[in-house]
This record gives sequence, C-alpha cells and structure tokens, in this order.
Amino acid sequence: MGSGIWSTDVYDAAQSYRARTGASAFAYNDSGATTTHPGLDPKGVTFRESRDSDEHPDSLAVAVLFDVTGSMGRVPRILQTKLPDLLGLLLRKGYVEHPQIMFGAVGDATCDRAPLQVGQFESDNRMDDDLGRILLEGGGGGQMMESYELAMYFMARHTSIDCFEKRGRRGYLFMIGDELAYPKVDRRLVAEVIGDDLAEDVRTEDVVAELRRMYEVYFIIPEGGYHSGDPRLREFWQGLLGEHVLYLDDLDAVCETIALTIGMNEDAIDLAEGLDHLAEFGSDAGPSVSRALARLDAGRSPVAVSSAPADLDQDGPRRTRRL
Amino acid sequence: MTHRIVVDLGFGDAGKGTVVDWLCARGPEPVHAVVRFNGGAQAAHNVVADDGRHHTFAQFGSGTLTPGVRTHLSRFMLVDPLALAAEERHLAALGVRDAFDRLTVDGDAPLTTPYHRAAGRAREIARGAARHGSCGMGIGETMAYALAHPQDAPRVADCRSPLRLRRLLGGLRDRVLEEFPDAEGTPPVEDCVEAFTAFGERVAVVGGEHLAGLLRAGPVVFEGAQGVLLDEWHGFHPYTTWSTTTFANAETLLAEAGAQAERLGVVRAYMTRHGPGPFVTEDPALTADLPDRHNGSGPWQGAFRVGHLDLVALRYALEVTGGIDALAVTHLDVARDRGDLLVCRAYEIDGERVDRLPVGPAGDLDRQEALTRRLLTARPVYEPPADPVQALESELGAPVALRSHGPATSDKTPGGVLSPPGPRAGRAGPAGRR
Repeated sequence: MGSGIWSTDVYDAAQSYRARTGASAFAYNDSGATTTHPGLDPKGVTFRESRDSDEHPDSLAVAVLFDVTGSMGRVPRILQTKLPDLLGLLLRKGYVEHPQIMFGAVGDATCDRAPLQVGQFESDNRMDDDLGRILLEGGGGGQMMESYELAMYFMARHTSIDCFEKRGRRGYLFMIGDELAYPKVDRRLVAEVIGDDLAEDVRTEDVVAELRRMYEVYFIIPEGGYHSGDPRLREFWQGLLGEHVLYLDDLDAVCETIALTIGMNEDAIDLAEGLDHLAEFGSDAGPSVSRALARLDAGRSPVAVSSAPADLDQDGPRRTRRL
Repeated sequence: MTHRIVVDLGFGDAGKGTVVDWLCARGPEPVHAVVRFNGGAQAAHNVVADDGRHHTFAQFGSGTLTPGVRTHLSRFMLVDPLALAAEERHLAALGVRDAFDRLTVDGDAPLTTPYHRAAGRAREIARGAARHGSCGMGIGETMAYALAHPQDAPRVADCRSPLRLRRLLGGLRDRVLEEFPDAEGTPPVEDCVEAFTAFGERVAVVGGEHLAGLLRAGPVVFEGAQGVLLDEWHGFHPYTTWSTTTFANAETLLAEAGAQAERLGVVRAYMTRHGPGPFVTEDPALTADLPDRHNGSGPWQGAFRVGHLDLVALRYALEVTGGIDALAVTHLDVARDRGDLLVCRAYEIDGERVDRLPVGPAGDLDRQEALTRRLLTARPVYEPPADPVQALESELGAPVALRSHGPATSDKTPGGVLSPPGPRAGRAGPAGRR
C-alpha cells in the first residue's frame, strides 16, 4: 500500500504546470545568462573522458555538437527537445550496448560570448543537464564560418575515450550546422578559449585527420539554417569528410538519423532494418531518415574509412601527433 | 515482443517499482512504455537507480528513469493532477526533464480532487478506531463518487473544458461540504479549475484507442498498484482498497487491443502489511527489526507491519488472480541476513488445520467479511526456515524469473524466463493457470 508522498497543494500545482507549459528547456540560457556555463567551459579542461566501468564495461563514446548561432534559427531549440531520446534509441534495439553521450555547442570564436561549449560523456540522462546549460548565441560572424575547427581540435586533443584507447574502436562525433569551419585553428583563439599554448596555427584538415583516427566524424546539415542550400557548404564538408555529410530535411528526425547512422556503422543493421525498427517504435521519422542516409547505405559495403580524405594529403607533412 | 503485467501478490510494498524499473532499464527486451491500470496517486513505488538517485513513483511509471520510456495512465487509473505536478518536479530535480512529454493520459480516467481527499479524511476520522487504513489521498472517495454520480464525476478530458470542469467541481465541493461541513482542505473551485486546466493543457490527453498503438510499437509493461490481498472484491473486507488489484484491468485493456501479456507476480521473501487488517504471520519482533526504508508509520495509514512468508495467503492470491507465468522475489538480501525467517503453509483456525482459503465469486463482500473474521482468529503453523525461492516455487508452482537482492537496478538477477532473447530450453509452461 502506498502513501501520499507528493504534495497535493492546488496552488503549487497550478504554478508548476504554468512553469512547465511551453517553458524552454534551455533554462540556463533563458534565465538571462551571457557566458558559458562553468560545467561546459572547455578552458583548462585536460580531457573529457568516456570510461569503461563495471556497469558499462564496453563503453562507446558518442559526441553531438551543434551550431548555436543565429544562422541556425530555431534549430538548436528543436535539437534540445529531440536529443534526450538518443540514448533510448541506441539502447532499444541494441545498436550499442553502452553508449556514453556528450553534448556540446559551437559558436564563432572571433566574435561570440560562448564560442565552444562541451559537456561530459554520460551514460544516463544526466546528459540532459548539459543540454539545459547550453547558451544560445544567436549572433554568429556573418561570413558563413563558425569555429568548428576549434571544436574539432578540442575533440581531437582533449577527449580521452576507452573505446578507442583500450579497444581501438572509434567513437562517434556528429556536428550539426550550416556553415563552414575556419581554414586554420588559430593559436591565439586556442589559448583564449581552451588554454593550450601552441607554437603555431594548425591547418583544419590536419585537425580533421587527427580527429578521424579516434572518431567517426559526421556533419549533418539540417534544412532550416540560412545557408543550408549553399553549394559551398556541401563542397567544403564533403572535401573534409567525404560521404560523411548528411542532409536532413526534417530536424525532428535527428535522433533517429544519428541512431541509425551508428547502427549501420556498427554493422548492427542495414538501412532497411533500421527503418523497420523506427516503424515498430511508431516513429514517423522514417522517410526523412531514409533520404538522409540513402547514400551512406549505398556506399557502406565494404566499409572503407581512410584516416583522412585522400585529397588532403597532398601538400606538406601531416601532423597527427596527439598532445 | 512480450508485454508483461507486474502485480504484487501480497499486501503491497513487495517491490513492483523496482521490478518494473529493472524490466525497463535492464530487461530482456527494450520496454518503451509503462501502463498504469489501477489505483491512483497513493501508490508509492520506490526505485533506486544505480547512481543512487531515488524516486517514489506514484503516477508516473516506474520505468521513467530510463530515458525514452513513456507512461500511459489508462482509464482504470484515478488521476490526481495536483500530486502529479509535485511528482514531476521531483523527477525534474533528478534530471528527468521530459517526464510530461513522455506522458499520455486517457480522457476517461476519473480525477481525484482536493474535495475527494477532504471527504475521505473526514470520513476516516469519523470511523475512529475502526478506520480502514486509507492513505488519506481520496482514492476511495473518487471511486465512490464516480459510481454514485457517473454523470457528475470529473474526468481527465474535462480539464480541457473549463466551463464543464467548473460546474462538476462546484457540484462536488457542495456535496462534500454538505456531508462534512467542517471538512478541511476544500480550496475555492476557481483555484482548482485553474490548476486542473493547466494540467489539461500540459499533458497529452488521449482516447482509449491510444493503447493499441503503444502495444504495437514495442514491448509494454503494465504496472499494478497495491497488492492482490488488498483487492476490492477478493481482499479481506473491509481492510481493502477500492481498486481491482489483480490482473483483471490489464487483461481487459489488452483484450480490447487484441494483445496478450505474460503475468509476473511479485512477492517479498517475507510478508509486510501497511495499515490495519488481518495479517496471520505478523511478528512484532520482525516489525521492530526490519523497518522499511521507504515506509514509515503514516498518519492516515497506520503502522508498517512485518511477518513471515505466508504461503497460504499467497496461494489464495494466486487462485483469485487465475494464475501467473512467473514470479519475481524481492528482499532476498534481508532473507539471507535473517536466518530465522519462517515459512507458513497452514493456519490453525478454531482448532482446525487450514491450508487453503476458500475463493469466492467477485462481489460477495459479506462472504469476504466472514473470511476476515476467521482470519483474525487464525494462528500460523510454522515450518523451519527454508530457502524462500524454493518454498515459493514449490508452493505456487511458478518459476522464479527475477531475484532481487537490493533496491538498485543492478541488484537484480534474472532467471531463465526473463533471460535475453535466445534459446529458452526448459522454460516452464504457464504455471498455476486455471
């Protein structure tokens, strides 16, 4: 037999429902914050870690970073409501047994208040807390570039993931946005935002090569961003990531798209099976996911992933040393 | 894809919450929704996550700590929007920010209001020492009012029609104050309308057909409240709850949707009872030694009592439910540490040895009351301590599919029946089904 443990005060309840009606889950942002939440500040972070534990002996790191500048319109808010389901989707059909998910946000380091925000890798819904702490920029540089290179630099040199280090198995990094990266990782910005003291700037393609040793890297371009249809966007990211550029026509399908991409890459499913699973869950994301992943599915067999796109290796020695 | 119904075979508090949580977090199949099919906000299903977070589930399904798992409150649930808001606030504090987004409520479900609560408390106070052990949450009053005035009982869907809601709540409040002029806790109707309307705007109110879609989309767990021995028709009247606590409501919902489910009965390795009423194997020494972390003495419910494993009562529960497919046994850590927990397979009543209680037809409360009088004079016939798992399997004829050795998700050990999909050689057939 139970007991009346929860308050039944009529005034508390009214206030509670009002507070939760249409209230933004970006609680930190909407409370008027103007600086990066301390929990998401990359400055001085040695490593964000994804570690095996007794409970999660076979961890797999999954990072999702999205553009929070003005060019993305309402996209970040939609992402924020959708991404908490990602863990459940990965687990439900056993695509990944022990995912550890990290959320973060990318802005423009040349002009933004919060150019890079990175949470922790979490195995449960504590990751939602990080989503709630993300500051939405709304600004952006105006030159169709954001500091993705800085984000990729951080992921390459300031994350430490057991799936790769113990088992040689790559983690996953999904970036969601509609702009280009800057061509170089600027050493001054690195010092300012992350706190590393670099001798010189690092070319963005070198960072990508370094990053792709450790992560399967995907760039998702959602419809609804200002620049989504710009051909330079597709050329730029395809040059860096090859087929790992996904176009998504319905942002509501973002979790399903990420989950199926991972499922396919882990050889747990092919696209058709994944779409069957979505139908089974009652998800109506199938058509959008199918359009986003059709090319990936066609090019999947055999799975060929080079450490860097071939055309990036042309000039000069590559730096892949991890600090 | 296997749907499962989880029902407590005792007096409640056996650990349905922790079993439902395990099925959702670690079970053999990824559960996507929990359906509540009886009781209301008075349920108190305690779940402790492996990271130490603790929540007492009352209306949200006990699988809510697992991301993505939904809750559906069926029309058999008595929905209390005020308690629901407080429960959601606590879930949000634990990091579960989308509990409302994962909730659907059947529009036909009756509403529990402050006026029901006020009437229930006033009535229980008037009973004095003969009180029934109500939770003071207005559950019984909600049922009584819905039966006596079916057209006037406020339902969830009315929260979307403020004018109608105002009329129904006003009529209810007037009736309560007429019967109990001094009843406490009867806020102005307007304030109540405001809170209930906000509830109606925030949660997804759905029709009865919604459940069929849930059942098609993936494995669902039906989470029962209270225990079979408290059932309104088969419990020991009048010390019962005004709710069908057997598998019946869940089976009705499943039949409407053209689906089936496995029946999982939950029992403790020993017995407990919260509140007054017959409790043959009660042992004051155990009550003193085995306090429950999450169940104290409630002002409305009375004391939390502890006794030895009562196979007569559990066999009776099994018979009135029509049988189960498997058992989940909890608190085995306590049983392991207490070597003196006894087993009772028979009672002595008026000098006679009784090992089976007669099962009557549903609805004959005189008969149930007579049974209660006999039980109040019954003495337990004990056997020496035995392995509770073996005793239960042999007496109830159902395999033990889950053993729980502690409050957390990781304290559970599944048996063959609940193993991950794969060969299931040696699985016992539906045991005990009549």
